[in-house]
Amino acid sequence: MNDSIGMERVSDESNGKICEYLTFRLDREEYGIDILKVQEIRGYEPPTRIANAPSFIKGVVNLRGTIVPIVDMRLKFNCANAQYDAFTVVIILNLHQRIVGIVVDSVSDVMGLVPDQMRGAPDIESIIDSDAIIGLGSLGDRMLILLDIEKLMSGLDMGLMAEA
Amino acid sequence: MAETHYESGGSSADFDLSQFYQIFFEEAGENLDLMEQMLLSLNLETADDEELNGIFRCAHSVKGGAATFGFSDVAELTHQMESLLDKLRRHELMPNAAMVDVLLESADASRGLLACHQSGNVGQGPATANLVSRIRSLVSGETPPVAVVRPPEAPKMAPTESPAVPQPVPAVAPVASGGLRHLEIQFTKLDQPTQADAIVELFRDIPGLGEIKPITQENIAADARFFEVQTTSTNEDLLDLFAFHVSREHVAIADMSTSGASAGAQESAGAQAVTTEVSTAVAAQGFGFFDGAPGLPQSLVPESSVATSPIAEAGSTKVLQSVAKAPLVSNAQPEAATIRVAISKVDQLINLVGELVITQAMLAQNSRALDPAVYQQLLTGLTDLDRNTRDLQESVMSIRMIPMSIVFSRFPRMLRDLASKLGKKVDFVTQGEATELDKGLVEKITDPLTHLVRNSCDHGIESPQDRVLAGKPETGTITLSASHQGGSIVIEVRDDGRGMSRQKILTKARERGLDVSDQMSDAEVWQLIFAPGFSTADVVTDVSGRGVGMDVVKRNIASLNGTVEIESSEGYGMKVSVRLPLTLAIMDGMSVGVGNEVYILPLSSVVESFQVKSDAVSTVGQGAQLVKVRDEYMPVIELEKVFQVPRYDSDKTSDIMVVIEADSSRVVLLVDELLGQQQVVVKNLESNYRKVPNVSGATILGDGKVALILDTGALVRRSRH
Repeated sequence: MNDSIGMERVSDESNGKICEYLTFRLDREEYGIDILKVQEIRGYEPPTRIANAPSFIKGVVNLRGTIVPIVDMRLKFNCANAQYDAFTVVIILNLHQRIVGIVVDSVSDVMGLVPDQMRGAPDIESIIDSDAIIGLGSLGDRMLILLDIEKLMSGLDMGLMAEA
Repeated sequence: MAETHYESGGSSADFDLSQFYQIFFEEAGENLDLMEQMLLSLNLETADDEELNGIFRCAHSVKGGAATFGFSDVAELTHQMESLLDKLRRHELMPNAAMVDVLLESADASRGLLACHQSGNVGQGPATANLVSRIRSLVSGETPPVAVVRPPEAPKMAPTESPAVPQPVPAVAPVASGGLRHLEIQFTKLDQPTQADAIVELFRDIPGLGEIKPITQENIAADARFFEVQTTSTNEDLLDLFAFHVSREHVAIADMSTSGASAGAQESAGAQAVTTEVSTAVAAQGFGFFDGAPGLPQSLVPESSVATSPIAEAGSTKVLQSVAKAPLVSNAQPEAATIRVAISKVDQLINLVGELVITQAMLAQNSRALDPAVYQQLLTGLTDLDRNTRDLQESVMSIRMIPMSIVFSRFPRMLRDLASKLGKKVDFVTQGEATELDKGLVEKITDPLTHLVRNSCDHGIESPQDRVLAGKPETGTITLSASHQGGSIVIEVRDDGRGMSRQKILTKARERGLDVSDQMSDAEVWQLIFAPGFSTADVVTDVSGRGVGMDVVKRNIASLNGTVEIESSEGYGMKVSVRLPLTLAIMDGMSVGVGNEVYILPLSSVVESFQVKSDAVSTVGQGAQLVKVRDEYMPVIELEKVFQVPRYDSDKTSDIMVVIEADSSRVVLLVDELLGQQQVVVKNLESNYRKVPNVSGATILGDGKVALILDTGALVRRSRH
């Protein structure tokens, strides 16, 4: 992989230092999000449905007294099947003092990525807003899609925040 | 004067203001601290309006509270401070250092007065006449020369006031009071006699300390040095100075001018030992003396007791020490009665207890299958856990919630005093005192409400003569009411006074250079009175009229995410409604089941419920449903449809009707079942999510699940369209 095939090195916000990412799976894709945004990881429990909400917003749950909305990333990213079983996990994120949970198929591990392992996002059409993709992480034969989860979640189409 | 308020407070049977003293003292202390901080950080050249307004608001709040509780001395002083600050923020005067000084001293004096009230030592606080007159002269625009600092009437200077003389060098300060003293200082048992020579240099190096002359006598021991000293400093100051060179145990100070015996005493070695011992005691106790009353000027210590002999001095030091400590002890006691804890800590506690309750419920569930004969101890333990958890939950909940009556009962006394001061007749009516409100909200709503009630009394209610002329009863009425309404708490202050004059407000706004036009709606015009410094009052009294009240009201309420609405009708009175979000409030709820889901209805809006047959519902036109309830047709709302509840059991239909009332109209909700009534803690959905239509909030049920609370106001409005 080199610059000649249209990939550019990601150099902003990661000058030389290792960034740690929590990686999780959605269907067969592997994603990474900034570990510092993650508050905790929990098992899935059926949330309280909210009427007239988009289908990927599963509802709200009680997280030790806080009402937290739950977004199913598999539905958001149009994954083929979204089963809820013993391995389904919820990643609780803390973004801008707001707490939100995302449902994923499984959590893999925490990866430290050095800038050399990061590639720019390819210019392709996808369901994910290209602004919300920081880049791609290359780990041998694995490819991580690094998400700017903050941007993704605060997007208007997520319907998590009132339209100002 | 100050003592009378205790009596009147106690004698009136219906309420006792003293229960709020502690809150006031805490609030006032915070306000004074805040003011001091802001004064200290105030940049005189570039002081902006926001800072000056902030300082002004602090003084205003303290004044308001002090007046409410009848601490007239504090109210008077802060009123003067407020006058000065008002001129500053209106840019009629430019702030200068003298003003800041006098304001800081006034804040200190207020603190002193408050401390005296708090400990019950009325009358022992610092005198304020001097400060008041100084502020007055500053307000009237005089430059603050020495003449102002030293008033001609030379009042009895109380301890805290003595720093009023701006003397930079503390050692010089006692000149006026202490006078020149003639001392003999003995240094004994010196390791190196040259140490004493350093003392001589000390006197040479420090200007104003005095003169020192060595005394040469034959019988002085080789390790001792005696000096004759003329100084204005106190013994303490001298000992502190000498401590750099000679430790205190080796120093003895005696007065030469009055004590002839000292000359003889030094000749006897035995007497010398006594002197040394006593002065050690002085040195040791001197610390307590100094810590206790650092500002205590020399004049308070009787000259003679200092002068006579070291033994007498030791005695007087002890006395002073106990005097200085007495107020400290009595202060400590009331403070221990309450503690102020960050709201976030209480919230955390509530959440943790909630979790505990759920865990406990789970344990109880799992233990049911156990054989009581085998697991008797475990089961007993679980029963105890059950009871303790409930008690714990109850007490934790009660930390936060207090009824509005706590706030309301502050007002009758204040209004009575105010009305008699203004020569008006006012009846005070309260409604909905039992409405429970979160403590955090209560604390923050008290100040704004005080302002509103004062405003109503001062500006709203007319004088008895005017009322009679206007064809109204002589006695005006101020009503304070609280209620839960459509997912909010609404607190209203109503009066049947003269209302607001649209024309007067517009004129005043133009004078102040605000952008207004005659086409503005009434609501917009009323909003003008929330501008800082806006007032239509013709005369500024110590009650109101400076225009600070509404500005504070608006700011405080906005900080709680609340709104203020004004309705006014000239000649008939006005109503100020403060609407606060339900966040944090506890509510009596009725849980209803629809499909597999549970929703909470505010019990206050539930009128009745009954079972109906499907043919009781009649439709109109496009399918709008109506049901006849006791000769009245009411619109029917199917919660199942509103909330798109999925049906797994197609046979079951909603056949229970709940009549709810909101905004004075009624609708019928169709639900599957009634599950019960319970108190619910209202949680905000918007803190992590967004506003959901027809839902005012959420709560956590006993099993840990989230249930949505219906916004009955929105449902009723929905049925109208």
